[in-house]
Amino acid sequence: MKILVVDDSATMRRIIMKHLNDAGYTGTVEAENGLEAISRMEGVELVLTDWNMPVMDGMSLVKELRQNPAYSRVPIVMITSIGARKEVVEALKQGVNNYIVKPFTPSILIEKIKSVIEVTA
Amino acid sequence: MDVKYINPFINALDHTMATMLGVAPERMTISVKSHNIALGDISAIIGFAGENVQGSIALSFPEKMALLLYRRIIGEVVTRINKDIEDIVGELANIVAGGAKTELENSRLFIHNAIPSVIVGKNHTIAHKGTTPFVLIPFQWETHYFTMEVSMKIESTGLLFKRALAARAT
Repeated sequence: MKILVVDDSATMRRIIMKHLNDAGYTGTVEAENGLEAISRMEGVELVLTDWNMPVMDGMSLVKELRQNPAYSRVPIVMITSIGARKEVVEALKQGVNNYIVKPFTPSILIEKIKSVIEVTA
Repeated sequence: MDVKYINPFINALDHTMATMLGVAPERMTISVKSHNIALGDISAIIGFAGENVQGSIALSFPEKMALLLYRRIIGEVVTRINKDIEDIVGELANIVAGGAKTELENSRLFIHNAIPSVIVGKNHTIAHKGTTPFVLIPFQWETHYFTMEVSMKIESTGLLFKRALAARAT
């Protein structure tokens, strides 16, 4: 499964990709902001994105993808340190399929990803 | 500064260290700091602002501990502070600030966090956004000491009301 990991922190991308790899999700690709993510969307089946990033943030990325017929149905999980209710509701309204608040354990990450894959399959 | 505004940062730090590193650093005596020289070799600072509040939070680590954090989280040994170490310290600060933001909403304090800046070097300065003096919260983990600094300026509702009236008058 091709999963795109979007985060401005290279360390956080490595952590997420390591957890994905350990759970058997190989073939992940990465981007450090929303704009770069859009250019890497070819063949992507799941997007994991941070919210607060320079150049193009995660919420702008979600809006762009949801407006693009080619990617409007690709599941998106937001992984962010922003866990306030207002922001979570806003993200879900904009089309995010699930939401993970940092810090997270590997099991939370994988459980939520599995859940999104099941629901959107 | 009211302790109810400091506790969310402490709670967020505890939660972050427990979840990401599986450790529980011991909090030491909180004090007031009136100079901007960092106590660590690498610091990450994040400014935040809301309708009636502005401030910043900084985490500052000695080099040895920053390298150890990286080793525990990523599993690789690094011998000197480099871009990866800067990145992980910035991300830790980002996560702590995000956790505090969520809890501060319980006190009706709504803030937006900026993107972290990381400063490296002996005796570097930390330029807080709020007022000085600010609160210094030292922690100990095994033989390592690190600090969190919180600077926060909260305007009283009376002042906000006066400002709103002045804005309406113009």
